[in-house]
Amino acid sequence: MEMLEKDQEIDLTIIPPSGPAPAERSAVRARDLSVFYGDFQAVKDIDLACVANRITALIGPSGCGKSTVIRSFNRMNDLIPSARVEGQILFDDVDIYGPGVDPVEVRRRVGMVFQKPNPFPKSIYDNVAWGAKVNGFKGEMDTLVEEALRQAVLWDEVKDKLKESGYSLSGGQQQRLCIARAIAVKPEIVLMDEPTSALDPVATLRIEELLQDLKERYTIIIVTHNMQQAARASDYTAFFNMNAERAGYLVEYGRTEDIFTKPREKTTEDYITGRFG
Amino acid sequence: MTDIRSHFHQELADLEQTLLNVADQAEQMVGMAVDAICIPDMELAARVVALDNQIDRIYLDVHNRWLTLMARQQPMASDLRMMSVLLHLNTTLERMGDQCVNIAKMAQVTFGLPRSERIIAQIREMGDLVRQMIRTGVEALVRRDIDEARLLPAMDEPVDRLNRNMYREVVECGPDPSLLEWATRMMMVSRALERIGDQVVDIAEQTAFLLTGEMMEFNENGISGTG
Ligand SMILES: Nc1ncnc2c1ncn2[C@@H]1O[C@H](COP(=O)(O)OP(=O)(O)O)[C@@H](O)[C@H]1O
Ligand SMILES: [Mg+2]
Repeated sequence: MEMLEKDQEIDLTIIPPSGPAPAERSAVRARDLSVFYGDFQAVKDIDLACVANRITALIGPSGCGKSTVIRSFNRMNDLIPSARVEGQILFDDVDIYGPGVDPVEVRRRVGMVFQKPNPFPKSIYDNVAWGAKVNGFKGEMDTLVEEALRQAVLWDEVKDKLKESGYSLSGGQQQRLCIARAIAVKPEIVLMDEPTSALDPVATLRIEELLQDLKERYTIIIVTHNMQQAARASDYTAFFNMNAERAGYLVEYGRTEDIFTKPREKTTEDYITGRFG
Repeated sequence: MTDIRSHFHQELADLEQTLLNVADQAEQMVGMAVDAICIPDMELAARVVALDNQIDRIYLDVHNRWLTLMARQQPMASDLRMMSVLLHLNTTLERMGDQCVNIAKMAQVTFGLPRSERIIAQIREMGDLVRQMIRTGVEALVRRDIDEARLLPAMDEPVDRLNRNMYREVVECGPDPSLLEWATRMMMVSRALERIGDQVVDIAEQTAFLLTGEMMEFNENGISGTG
């Protein structure tokens, strides 16, 4: 991690006074990021530095490119044939789209949790152990599985039925299982795309509380269409909108409390107060 | 969705209007309370008390409507700041009404006592200044005019000065013991008017907060930010 020095100074044009304190370092950073699907430009010129060990929420109207942006943080867009990425995603000053970078290694270091809980049709244990096995983990697997399940605050609920199918769990538990699976490979960043939109309010709150614990170890970037969730659960909020050509762009980025009490941009204000469109 | 949100903004505007009407009423109550002292007029004093009961009822109603909006709409950004301002304003105006009642009660207990015209003149002057402050403070809020809001601390200065001076005026009544009971009560009237002046400065601070998102303390030494 010796290349972090440069990133300690966060570009003030990206995060103006209301942004992170100077001591906070960015864990990952989009620079001039544009993503195309065929001829269609889905997002345009995104500059966004996400702060290490903090939760960054991406909010904005449907279709403004939140999922597209978050997918570019771990090269998930590579899996979409028509997708093309321009600009850089800097991770420890290394562009993850640069030559010689292994996308599999990128995805180990940057995990992802999706909207619908998607456990494998395997046991609870194997769901968590799977990623580590694929990565050739040689250590004590039981310990690793327990640790991941504990971090995901699921251990107490499943410790007596680790051999049962992941599908036997409730929706909220399945999502925590997916979080355990994502963190079992010891990523640095965890991406979450609307991770609670399929869950009831109680399960949602549990995930939000879990995020507060997880950020001590991981940097979290979460897409949410629920503004209250962004307000409750995140440290920084990035608001995206679409331009006339429907290309998404970053309108405003700052501390969550500032975005929700005194946004600088009128577009942000209009969106979060429901005066949009 | 759009309907729910525009209904919310209408309700927000209605709450503000309700409180602006209360502020107008408070301004008139200051005039009536001061007249009740200066004329003196017991009936005016009774009307001030009745009007304050009205303010108390509106206070409760606004509080309930405010809670409902907060629970159902979870306002954000400028809406959230407006909600904060409305809550403050509601409390401040309710207390202003109470100060007017304090003055009216002094009118009742001093009715018929010998009095000093010098002190009466000073109370009138304070009343006029405070009423002008209320009008300016309300206008600044209505117009969302931060420059106008910033005028309030300077407008409050002569009120504070007159209040401090009141003590000396009362002491000067000393040689005439028949004046003393009335005069000491007038110190409380003066104090109530001074408090109302402070409350208007508070409203101006709220206006500045609404417009800037920063909470600033307005005082005679200028304006100091705390946000
Ligand atoms: N796989 C895809 N192929 C073509 N267009 C896509 C694809 N994924 C997303 N898009 C388009 O890109 C834009 C941004 O989509 P997305 O990133 O999913 O937005 P959000 O997550 O903010 O709702 C939308 O116009 C969407 O239709
Ligand atoms: Mg999406």
